[in-house]
Amino acid sequence: MAHAPVAARPRVGVVKFASCDGCQLTLLDLEDELLSVVDHFDIVDFPEATSARSAGPYDVLFVEGSVSEPAHLERIVELRRRTRFLVTIGACATAGGIQALRNWGDHDAFRAGVYSNPEWISSLARSTPISEHVTVDAELRGCPIDPHQLVELLTALTTGRRAQLRDESVCMECKRRGVVCVMVSKGIPCLGQVTQTGCGAICPRFGRGCYGCFGPREQANAAGLTRHLQMAGDRPREEIGRLFAGFTAYSEPFRSMVTELGGARTARGATTTAAGPAPRGGKA
Amino acid sequence: MPVTRSPRGGRPTIEGPGFLARADLQFLFDLLREDGRRLIGPTVADGAIIYDDISSVDELPRGWGDEQSPGRYRLRRRGDEQLFGYVVGPTAWKKWTFPALIPLTRSSHDGHKVSFEPEQTPPPKLAFLGVRACEIAALAVQDRVLIGSEFIDPDYMVRRANVMVVAVQCTTSASTCFCTSMGTGPEVTQGYDLLLTELDAGFLVDAGTPAGRLLLDRLPLRAASSAEQYGVAATVAAVRARIGDPIPADGLHDRLLAQLDHPRWAQVAERCITCGNCTLACPTCFCTTLSQTTDMSGLTALASRSWDSCFSPGFAKVAGGSFRARPRDRYRQWLTHKFATWWDQFGTSGCVGCGRCITWCPVGIDVRDELNAIAPPVPLSPESRLVEPVAATPNDFVTARVVNTKAETADTTTLTLTGVDPAFSHGSTGQFAMVALPGFPPLPISISRFLPDGIELTIRGAGPATKAMCALQLGDQVGLRGPLGNNWPLDRAVGRDLVIVTGGIGLAPLRPVLHAIVADRRRFGDVKLFYGARTPADLLYRDELDRWAKRDGIEVSLTVDRAGPDWAGRVGIVTHLFDQAAWDGTNMIAFVCGPERMMQATSTTLAGRGVSASRIHVTLERHMECGIGLCGHCQMGKYFVCRDGPVFSIAQLGDTFGREGI
Repeated sequence: MAHAPVAARPRVGVVKFASCDGCQLTLLDLEDELLSVVDHFDIVDFPEATSARSAGPYDVLFVEGSVSEPAHLERIVELRRRTRFLVTIGACATAGGIQALRNWGDHDAFRAGVYSNPEWISSLARSTPISEHVTVDAELRGCPIDPHQLVELLTALTTGRRAQLRDESVCMECKRRGVVCVMVSKGIPCLGQVTQTGCGAICPRFGRGCYGCFGPREQANAAGLTRHLQMAGDRPREEIGRLFAGFTAYSEPFRSMVTELGGARTARGATTTAAGPAPRGGKA
Repeated sequence: MPVTRSPRGGRPTIEGPGFLARADLQFLFDLLREDGRRLIGPTVADGAIIYDDISSVDELPRGWGDEQSPGRYRLRRRGDEQLFGYVVGPTAWKKWTFPALIPLTRSSHDGHKVSFEPEQTPPPKLAFLGVRACEIAALAVQDRVLIGSEFIDPDYMVRRANVMVVAVQCTTSASTCFCTSMGTGPEVTQGYDLLLTELDAGFLVDAGTPAGRLLLDRLPLRAASSAEQYGVAATVAAVRARIGDPIPADGLHDRLLAQLDHPRWAQVAERCITCGNCTLACPTCFCTTLSQTTDMSGLTALASRSWDSCFSPGFAKVAGGSFRARPRDRYRQWLTHKFATWWDQFGTSGCVGCGRCITWCPVGIDVRDELNAIAPPVPLSPESRLVEPVAATPNDFVTARVVNTKAETADTTTLTLTGVDPAFSHGSTGQFAMVALPGFPPLPISISRFLPDGIELTIRGAGPATKAMCALQLGDQVGLRGPLGNNWPLDRAVGRDLVIVTGGIGLAPLRPVLHAIVADRRRFGDVKLFYGARTPADLLYRDELDRWAKRDGIEVSLTVDRAGPDWAGRVGIVTHLFDQAAWDGTNMIAFVCGPERMMQATSTTLAGRGVSASRIHVTLERHMECGIGLCGHCQMGKYFVCRDGPVFSIAQLGDTFGREGI
């Protein structure tokens, strides 16, 4: 996380890889803080906000999206070279995103099933998080990211203090807010226990289970939760596998659960077997 | 003197509890609100009975009950009109006395100057409606923690002082309740301003404070009949009986702290998600974390305090990492704090037995099961349960007859006794008998074998009395008292490796341990016996040593101090033999019997191999005359060796062990 002010008025870029742009929009949605953000940061590159472009260098670069195309491989390395403090934002950049479900499937079959001219499509067999390719200085989790966490990180960058992004379960936020546990009171499977907090427990607040869009927290005992769901809930393996097969499926230990239990669907709707994806590559 | 009253006006005071019709409960609501209080009470929301702001009796959970079990909570219809016919739900009252998030300090920079201003929120005037006995206990626990010493939490103090407690007796219980074990309920006996007990048509109302009395006097009550009062007592007693005593709490503090190395900690950590729900649902947990929010300029900041949990990985983190890095460390921290070290810090248990941590654990971990497994109230295995001794008093003996004698060595004989009281056959490994012959002082002798209809005693003829015993012939009788003393904690060796280190006659009290292991070999891991004697001819039980090694899967290592040409084994003292052997102590428990210096040297070696003091057990020899802690001869520090021992863990003995002159 941030430690010292990166610059007096940091030059900020916002770029995207394979993603929906929703996380970038969270920055634009900071209506109350927007003027202050512009006061404290020099936004030099942000296609969702301005047509001005910069090739860097950046004091702070917000990177949205996963590495999903051959061209991404070089681009992220090049951006990293021009960046002092690189922040990945959202489930795609931090975990590979929903598109990483293809990592369990047959890439060619997937392309042929989705596109009428698959030969026009240039994509990698696996969608991977930015951290698999370059060093990341800070990450904001979620699909999309949480505005309060974004403001917290920005403030930490301007003041030089450590950003307070808690590493704890979503349950903690449920309990602080007095949300009645949906798993205990309604039997709804919920990933909140193994998922990193930051969302304000938004799903349980609306009576549904957490689907883990902030990804696994430190030492997430996904295997323990799985055993409980199998034994106490009497749920089939694949149904439990599907719980983990969401926006952050490619992050360990969710990844192992999806591989072990099945639950990631391929283009043709067939479910993957326990063969699983290729092992994770090293960092660039 | 049944007097129906209007809610206003001066009337005579009713002594004892009054009766309030259910339809009149709104009077109480209105009086509390007139007093300027926000009323917090039970209401149905999101599939549970929670506590929240309420203003009308109509918001109470009329006719609702609940079903609770580990990891599961469901509302159910009771089929009656009861307003308080449920058990405690997900909310704890600390939500209002110790809120999840409060602002603490505002700070700012002004040039080189800094300033800090405490943030003060005026406390709301509250009335808690429906507080149960366990919850009153929980408030008292937090009172101890937060305002019970010279360092106080000012926010808690003012909030707490502004709460009026309207308690309700429990007329039902859940499967997760264990207030009975924690001594906190189910009866409400103190800590309330007003106390309601729900009956079919209304409530018994009693006051516990002058403020409560003032309210009571303004309610439209009639005097309660004695039938109503007895009925209430019977109902609450039935709740107590239904809950039973799930965690026998006697000695729990010591039992739990003696088990810091129990393998169960790792097992429960495989199930525990370390999500923290138990701690935040707990009505006494008080851990918090500070967080800072600043404006983007960094010139002003607000420090806030929020509930935190010892289960979160970051809670014990410092620059070098976390002090409790593993989930098992965090589970152990929580459980030992709640049930043991809380006593040391605050003079009270940290647990009130409300059962919230059981119900609201998403994966249904039940602290009662964990406590009973980790620190069981009674030994696990039948062989180590202690029986009532016979002829317990020092002036009384039963007799037994010698049916076999076996010369073990030149000076040591094993007597087989029959015709003994069945209590002896049901004695436990490590126990002893007081053995007497007329004219000689009774002597404590370890029982070296338990037989279905008798016992064996292995006696070294060292003095006149023991020589007389060794000289007994078939058909002779002896006098016995016992079995006395405690036993080797064989139940703790189940599932572990066991090492037995002993020398000479010291094998006698450990022989029944080996018999018990051989009888149930699969329940134990690796079992090693290190045994030394002066010469090969001084080794006891030679045939059995052979059988244990060859047939029973026990690794037997022998050594002698001096040997002749016919000895092909090791020569040297047992401590050295033991020290040189290759073994790993991480999952090991040790039983040691020998001279105190030998046991001390052995403990040091064991400690060096990772066997902690709580897992090293020794049996002590002291002058014992009565065997039951009356004569005073065997005192050692705070213990009577005969009654509290003779088996002790090194952890129990602390630095009295091996100290000269104690």
